[in-house]
Amino acid sequence: MSENQETMTGKTRIQMAMRRKKTDRVPWVPFVGVHGGYLVDMPADDYLRDSNAIIAGVDKAIDLYQPDGIPVVFDLQVEAEALGCHLQWAKDNPPAVVSHPLADGIGIADLPELNPGSGRIPVCMEATSILRKKHPDIALYGLITGPFTLALHLAGTNIFMQMMESPDEAHTLMEYCHGISCNMASWYMEAGCDVIAVVDPMTSQIDPASFEMFVAPAVTKLFDMVRDRNKLSSFFVCGFAQQNVPAMAACKPNNVSIDENIPLSFVRETAEEHQISFGGNLKLTSVLSMGSTKEVEMHTLETLEEGGDTGFILAPGCDLVMETPIENLQAVTRVVSDPYHREFVKTLQAAPVIEEVQDLSERWQDDKVIIDVITLDASSCAPCQYMVEAMELASRPYGNKLQCNEFSIKNKEGLRMMKALGVKNVPVTVMDGEILFVSQIPPAREIEKAIQKKLAAKNLL
Amino acid sequence: MKELLEHIAYCIEYGKINIQSPFPPDMKGKKGADEYTKEALDAGVSPHKVLTEGLMVGMDKVGKKFRENKVFVPQVLMSAKAMNTAMEHLMPFFTSGDITPKGTFIIGTVFGDLHDIGKNLVAMMLKGNGWKVIDLGMDVAADKFLDTLHAHPDAVVGLSALLTTTMSNMQQIVERIREEKPSTLIAVGGAPVTKEFCDKIGADMYAPDPQGLLEELETAC
Ligand code: B12
Repeated sequence: MSENQETMTGKTRIQMAMRRKKTDRVPWVPFVGVHGGYLVDMPADDYLRDSNAIIAGVDKAIDLYQPDGIPVVFDLQVEAEALGCHLQWAKDNPPAVVSHPLADGIGIADLPELNPGSGRIPVCMEATSILRKKHPDIALYGLITGPFTLALHLAGTNIFMQMMESPDEAHTLMEYCHGISCNMASWYMEAGCDVIAVVDPMTSQIDPASFEMFVAPAVTKLFDMVRDRNKLSSFFVCGFAQQNVPAMAACKPNNVSIDENIPLSFVRETAEEHQISFGGNLKLTSVLSMGSTKEVEMHTLETLEEGGDTGFILAPGCDLVMETPIENLQAVTRVVSDPYHREFVKTLQAAPVIEEVQDLSERWQDDKVIIDVITLDASSCAPCQYMVEAMELASRPYGNKLQCNEFSIKNKEGLRMMKALGVKNVPVTVMDGEILFVSQIPPAREIEKAIQKKLAAKNLL
Repeated sequence: MKELLEHIAYCIEYGKINIQSPFPPDMKGKKGADEYTKEALDAGVSPHKVLTEGLMVGMDKVGKKFRENKVFVPQVLMSAKAMNTAMEHLMPFFTSGDITPKGTFIIGTVFGDLHDIGKNLVAMMLKGNGWKVIDLGMDVAADKFLDTLHAHPDAVVGLSALLTTTMSNMQQIVERIREEKPSTLIAVGGAPVTKEFCDKIGADMYAPDPQGLLEELETAC
């Protein structure tokens, strides 16, 4: 790890990336929603109603995934519920809105007033303030239901026709939803959030002209308000919303985040044009949730390469599927935060596939212990070089009783050896076929101990 | 008379319902699908022609534009509304037998799933293409599909699912239909559904969009 990396906190990394400033590496924000419930072994319906559970879930996610930023609550039904929409709860998903008061004859003026005590808002704010104290160095994201999605919750799909047939009414509703968003954003900022993320998936279903007419004015004002308070903003749309990405960027959020349906390069170019930051778009289901760790690593690498290093924030396309395997998300963390591991994945990606597993039974000897160090290649990977040097140094006093080899995975022989030894990382030290040291270079004492043990087993001491 | 049919198709394509409708803005104060359909019928154009050479032409254009991402859900809903208004004038001819529907299509979103925007669009497109559509809504159990199917034994069944978790419910419904009425044609769709999944669960047709479904139905029926 370079020194730089240790001095830059996750929060600074996010703040710099959101302003398109140079960072030591690309920041990573796992959109943990009900996945937090999975981490603390709780069904979604209990998790999302309990601030202590949310705190525990986010704590655990921070511990496991070492993120630079993280959302507190990812549930786009909080505001709707507080305003009188009925919810249908699920064990493995966020709840769904099943009644639309404005479609059932209730007027906007008759909706309950939203205040910090309404519905589950206190749960969200309590979790935020406690997480703020516990994790001062991580960027906390306060998630707001985007005004158009909230309008759909309140009015049902009538909103689509209302935009066309009675645009004035649709404007009034959007203006109302904007007010709700501003309140939520203010409460989240007061509770300690650094970033206000407006999530408006329903905008994926409308054309740019409708977006500009009905959605843009509401969200632009919201982003202005966040900026005036010296906080950052992000605009997320899950779903196919390519047609609206330029219009979203024109609303002047600090960041636009998109999902796997939209090519990242397209968003990168749009963001560059508008001089804002952008994020996304790891594949939620096919890779993060169902892929192997190897597939996740390759996909993370490709996403990082497509995103580049200016203004890019690595994130899933939308909130994580509840049961996303922990090791898959840790694989993302490894690729994004460890440059050598990234190099390793890149080398493997370009390498020829080794089909057959080499038989090593002839390799082990009675009169010596064989030490194999698998490296990227000692010259381009500093830890690899240190590991090789440390092993050579430690084996020197034992003469022929020890044989120390380096295998670089940059060539076929190294790849074959890696496969035969079952190695999944670099640098790795293997003694007589046993994987002993992975990534970290152990202190000389420990190397010595391992060598002695192996020699003793063969009565060579 | 040809001109009237063109007007009808145009109004459907752009979602112009009637003279009062403010949408689309550039057709404000002009006649819509409602007026033109009535005029065509009054002028003696056959109801069948109004349907096939007016309404269906317009719906077909919207379907194609939707597929190409040139229009979005609100525009399609407006076209569907214009079509429904025009259909009011044609209803008597359906009951009298002057026009016969292409067939009956029973559609619903599978149980556990509350997404109906896509399903509604499919239903509208089918209607606009001369099908009789029975829409069972969303969160529909296997029994309800079967009851309806018993009342309309020749109907095609369409199932919609938008969640990976409800795709297995789709499979259950297909299995139930296969047990009780094996010869039924079953179409499946919804964002996470694929052709492979369709084959795997033993459904007959998959389409990524309503236009595709119409093409599938064209070959299957
Ligand atoms: C609108 C929406 C909602 C609305 C639904 C409102 C309504 N009345 O339908 C609300 C807010 C209620 C909602 C709730 C939920 N949603 Co939702 N929702 C969406 C959203 C934004 C758009 C879906 C849509 O309408 N698309 C537009 C239509 C036109 O497309 P379509 O449905 O695919 O239909 C087309 C084709 O598939 C095809 N088709 C459809 N049906 C059929 C049938 C046949 C027979 C054929 C041939 C073709 C066909 O033709 C249609 C027209 O081209 C998507 C994300 C996105 N942007 O896509 C998420 C999404 C579908 N939702 C999702 C989730 C997780 C949920 C919730 C569980 C959690 C939540 N609260 O967010 C709940 C679940 C509720 C439930 N039990 O069903 C996920 C699903 C993930 C997955 N694959 O499992 C998505 C993908 C968002 C995401 N990335 O996380 N949602």
